[in-house]
Amino acid sequence: MKLRRGTKEAAALLMALSLALTACGGGDNKENAPSGSASPGGDGASSPAAGEAVELGVTWWGPDARHEATKAALDIYTKQNPNVKFKPEFMAWDAFWQKLPTLVASKSVPDVLQMDAAYIQDYVSRGVMEDLSDIDLTGIVPDNILENVKIDGKLYGIPLSHNAQGLAYNKPDLEAAGIELPKQGWTWEEYFQWARDAKKKLPEDKYPIGDPANAWDWFQWYQASQGKGAIMSDGGKTFNLDKDLFVKFHDELNALRQEKVLPPPDTSLAFLENDPQADPMASGKVMTRGATVGSVAALEQLMPGKVAVVNVPNGPSGGGWAQSTIFLGVSATSKHKEEAKKFVKWFITDSEGGKALGLTRGIPINEAIYKELEPTLEAKDKISKALADVAAEKAMPFYSAGPGFTEWVDFYKTTMEAVMFGQKSVEDAYDEINKLGQDIAAKQK
Amino acid sequence: MTARSARRRAKKRIDWSGYVFISPWLVGFLLLTLWPIGQSFYLSFTDYSLLSEPVWVGLDNYARMFGSDPTFRKSLSVTFAFVLFSVPLKLLFSLLVAMLLSRNLRGMNAYRTAIYFPSLIGGSIAVAALWRNMFGKDGYVNHVLAWFGIEGTGWISNPDTALGTLILLNTWQFGSTMVIFLAGLKQIPQELYESASVDGANPVRKFFHITLPMLSPVMFFNLILGIIGSFQMFTASFVITPRGGPMQSTYVYAVFLYEKAFKHYQMGYASALAWILLVIVAVLTVLNFLASRYWVFYETDGGKSK
Repeated sequence: MKLRRGTKEAAALLMALSLALTACGGGDNKENAPSGSASPGGDGASSPAAGEAVELGVTWWGPDARHEATKAALDIYTKQNPNVKFKPEFMAWDAFWQKLPTLVASKSVPDVLQMDAAYIQDYVSRGVMEDLSDIDLTGIVPDNILENVKIDGKLYGIPLSHNAQGLAYNKPDLEAAGIELPKQGWTWEEYFQWARDAKKKLPEDKYPIGDPANAWDWFQWYQASQGKGAIMSDGGKTFNLDKDLFVKFHDELNALRQEKVLPPPDTSLAFLENDPQADPMASGKVMTRGATVGSVAALEQLMPGKVAVVNVPNGPSGGGWAQSTIFLGVSATSKHKEEAKKFVKWFITDSEGGKALGLTRGIPINEAIYKELEPTLEAKDKISKALADVAAEKAMPFYSAGPGFTEWVDFYKTTMEAVMFGQKSVEDAYDEINKLGQDIAAKQK
Repeated sequence: MTARSARRRAKKRIDWSGYVFISPWLVGFLLLTLWPIGQSFYLSFTDYSLLSEPVWVGLDNYARMFGSDPTFRKSLSVTFAFVLFSVPLKLLFSLLVAMLLSRNLRGMNAYRTAIYFPSLIGGSIAVAALWRNMFGKDGYVNHVLAWFGIEGTGWISNPDTALGTLILLNTWQFGSTMVIFLAGLKQIPQELYESASVDGANPVRKFFHITLPMLSPVMFFNLILGIIGSFQMFTASFVITPRGGPMQSTYVYAVFLYEKAFKHYQMGYASALAWILLVIVAVLTVLNFLASRYWVFYETDGGKSK
């Protein structure tokens, strides 16, 4: 009897203990969340002097350099405006676009968020973005750019920088091989011919150009340069993939692949841009590749002093694109809209903040800020600027994949890979890719 | 009356105290497991982009899967091929290594640790990146092959070899399976081997007539876990052959599901895919349990299963 009582007590003690332990473990998680979100209130109580204390959530994507620069800029803002504190959340591109929809679904989008041209229409149409048209940006952002980025006549994101698409090439290697350098303003015909000529002077395992068959945007540039405009337009409701141009473009690529001017497909698919070993250009295997203002800076760091730039091959309507593609917007559900609007304007106007941010989001949209930065630019910044300049000459608008078309982009890639490996004809590929595009467009109506 | 209700209350309190004790787990289970599962079942009948409210579409998602989505069939066939080859290979290989490691040699613990180690890190992104470089067109594997005058292909960028390479990686992560086999081997009574030796049985015979039957419950356990694990294979396909690449030759079901949910924002369709995966794995497990009657031997049954 006594023994039984003893074991009972011991058992009860053990259970209570384990309960206490697990409760602690669970409590940690549960308590953290509310205390985190409650902290602005707490802060406000402890520092009532500086007017209305607010905490703004800020989220963006980007590489490490951008994270550090942005955090420094936020600190500067807090120093200038002691009542505003920030709760920054930053991540890589993929993670950002995975997380944002869940934040929208749970109605907890941070007050200030970075936006991309490829997605902004989608989010505006879902009512996520606050209308910022009343922010006065005269003299800060050129009027034509401002008009260009408006959606249905309203401004939903402050454009942050100039972005552009061009072509980077390996200058010293081309010169060493005695190959004529790419010519600014070249046409697609000249581009393909240049590749054929260059291949004759290159060793067997080096290639003048990469294989763009599975990248939908290359064909978009081609189609637009020939005057046939966007593949996806009208908010994803219209789909226009020009059959004649598609067949012509991909037949030419097939021919180049057979002539070994393009790398074999298993080499092409192993390339990984901006990876030190696997980047097509940094690995020394391919002499040219497509680059944007941001990516050309990364490339320059991988192969210092070797990168030069030229514009994307032209057609009658132009070549490549130049436009603002990164925006800063305010959440429609923000509780501190006025403070958030004040901050996004500050982000492109303050010279101290501008210095901290540097060129981490491309060439600053605000000419005054860029002029201040100019004397301090590094090689990677200069090549970015050079790319923006060469691209601007004949630039066309930026055509993004329409809302709901990410699936189509992936389908284009895999279908064209089958063509690259010779397992599918260009005509069949066109039919399949066109059908899916038409289906998606029909669904959006 | 009051006495009875008091007693009833007392009785009730006793009932509830148990639940109170398990409440930390129970609350977690209900909120974080059961509720999301129920939610996903509901969502599988909707069109839900995360950005707007779900719209009820009935069986449309399931109809699309079986009717008009070639990617569904493609990913399913890739996954089945992966399971079909990787599970037996891994079982065979880990049993082999377990047999080697069950011997009593000096320093065996060091060998065991060294051999088990890869599986601790095998599923990680870092190792996936390492494999990507090793099996690339200019990777070490092709360098070694070049010594013998063989020109290798881009193992992971060629649609003919990519899945095979991933199966190899999966086999290499044999550690946990091997440890379970090792424990199973240690459980087999030595007397059986001794008496077999007295009767003049050779090692091969001993293996097939003692080791395999005695190990069959462990084998069964590893088989079930292996099948479930292989159906959920994700990291390798996502990282080594980015997003199930070249030409979707490694586009396994989990990657397909993930992309539908978080890249194409088709939560409803992705939920339906998840439920179909559950059904497939459940059916295979039941089939395995049924089949196990014919080949799994439990000592406690006194050989009844034979």
